[in-house]
Amino acid sequence: MTDEIKKKEGGVSRRDFLKIGGAAAAGLQIGAVAGAGLAAGKDPAANTGWQHLGDNTQFVDRKPLQLKGQPYEKVGPVLRPEEVESAFGRRRLMMKSMKQGSRGSQKPAAEAAEKKTAPPKDGPPEAVGDIPPESRPGAKPSGSGKRKPGPPRMKMPPPDSFVEPLAGFYKTHPDIYELDKVRLESIMPKRREDEAKYGDFYTLINAWQASWMAGQPIEDPPEISDFQMASPMGRGRKIRPSIPFKSPQLAAKLVKKVAHHFGATMVGVTKLKPEWCYNHSLRGSEDRGSYEVPKHWKYVIAFGVPHQWEQVQANPNCGTSFDAYSRATIAARRLETFIKSLGYPARRHSPMDGYDLIAVPILVDAGLGQQGRHGIVITPETGSNFRAAFVTTNLPMEIDKPIDFGVNEFCKDCHICAEICPSASISYEETNEKITTRGYRHWEINQTSCYNFWMQSMGGLGCRLCLIACPYSRKNNWAHALARTVDTNDPTGLVNDGLTWMQKTFFKTPEAAEYLPPPDGRFATFREPPDWLSVKEYLDIKTLDPTKGE
Amino acid sequence: MINGTVFFAFVVGALSGLVAAGAVIWAKDLRLKMTWWKWLPALLWYLLLNFSVLLAFTMIGEGETGAGLKMLVFFGVILVILGAGLVRLLLAGRAADKGLPVETG
Repeated sequence: MTDEIKKKEGGVSRRDFLKIGGAAAAGLQIGAVAGAGLAAGKDPAANTGWQHLGDNTQFVDRKPLQLKGQPYEKVGPVLRPEEVESAFGRRRLMMKSMKQGSRGSQKPAAEAAEKKTAPPKDGPPEAVGDIPPESRPGAKPSGSGKRKPGPPRMKMPPPDSFVEPLAGFYKTHPDIYELDKVRLESIMPKRREDEAKYGDFYTLINAWQASWMAGQPIEDPPEISDFQMASPMGRGRKIRPSIPFKSPQLAAKLVKKVAHHFGATMVGVTKLKPEWCYNHSLRGSEDRGSYEVPKHWKYVIAFGVPHQWEQVQANPNCGTSFDAYSRATIAARRLETFIKSLGYPARRHSPMDGYDLIAVPILVDAGLGQQGRHGIVITPETGSNFRAAFVTTNLPMEIDKPIDFGVNEFCKDCHICAEICPSASISYEETNEKITTRGYRHWEINQTSCYNFWMQSMGGLGCRLCLIACPYSRKNNWAHALARTVDTNDPTGLVNDGLTWMQKTFFKTPEAAEYLPPPDGRFATFREPPDWLSVKEYLDIKTLDPTKGE
Repeated sequence: MINGTVFFAFVVGALSGLVAAGAVIWAKDLRLKMTWWKWLPALLWYLLLNFSVLLAFTMIGEGETGAGLKMLVFFGVILVILGAGLVRLLLAGRAADKGLPVETG
């Protein structure tokens, strides 16, 4: 039977079927593609992260990306970091000064003001600085506008009234003295007012943050603690004699494998350069001064763990560092115990238990990523969305090499982190040519003004905006994976320009000032917080919502 | 149990086959003198359409609704412009053939 006859009989010809069916199939296909896109976007498996306890989380092959030279250019005498250089270190020295010389009437008040956010002796400064007073264990619940404002405003003493080396540092760094003064005299009192007014609005994020606390300080110096078991089973027992590995390659392979299973998303191994160790406050040591780097800290295993995806999007005013801090810390404890159980000394350096070394250059040396304009490391897997921990040991292992996947070129043109930074702490310089610290050329931010903003933010103290605004810190679905792959392999830089343009044009985010407290800002968040952090959704209390101008 | 990705690939593959078969008939009925250099841009245009929809809805799925909609408009405009050029290309040479019998079968 021909098509003509079929048509005459009222049937559908093969030709018509294909014409109508083809058109319908095109429509259906577009619908299916839209559905697949929605599913890919929503897929929680694309949230770069900790939840896959296996080495598939480190899915980028680093061999082709290995750098031939050194990741940092040496430009002068190399120095180890001093306590006074850090905002947290200065805070401790400031308190020490005030304790020693609490003679004037205003000094005890100033001490009390800074004490509210003071770090414990061995804890990580940023971790402790992250805990708002109301989130700390034992804090009393509060009501909007019902809390009493804190102590009266105080005056910053002149530079020469502080203990050394703080007095000398302030004299040679008047800009930093001014920033510390602004924090003490203006930011802290305003913070207490904001907490009294809006604190309840952040009840859930503060509870969520407090839940991740898991500090277990190291109490003895390396020559003792690194050679003793630290796990609940056998705590304080001397480690067994070392069991030899068949090769350093196999040792590194095994350590990385178990580190992934312990919760590390990315792992690398490098030799520890002494200049990456602090020159003060060795954990477990009575003396807070300079120390010689222990000889058994030959190797360092570096790893990273990303933040919970939904809350990290709600930075800076409804996020926290503590979830990734906690997971990284627990992974570090597990790895330390594993290595000690095989008879090798080991020491964890982690956000909750404290560090004796600086994170960024070690992560770079270990090939986990490259340093970005915002001063922190960008990895190919999770971008900047991760927190680091380390284990130092003398277990001989094959080391990894630094990598180059185009971050330097990308950061030259991007500036998104600098544009969004509420405290203008990130440089707009085209390159890091003019930025040198302790003998090396590398990106560095103004950490004092950055810290001052931490003290202004609400709901999970800290900021992390640069961390999540970085275009590399996107999901791991097909779209972002394609963008990263094409950009990394494009020598012309056109893809880089195109992606940066798309990011700035299509993705709307609040302006930098909106993240500030009212009246200058509205405590904005990068993205809307998840509903499970919404007080209005779950708690039967009345709150003022600063983001809506209440 | 059929893996979701495999099932999706099967469905989209079947639909693609039907679209291709239909396109050939439409081209004949519309008396478009199709050559490889006409099929190629038509195929690329259709792929760009699919890519745009996939990208925009992936962004919407991520919660970036604004970005997704802006991308739809942005790529939509590009697709309309390219589509207009494509139609001109496909219709080239067709006017002269008016009145010729349509091939059937």
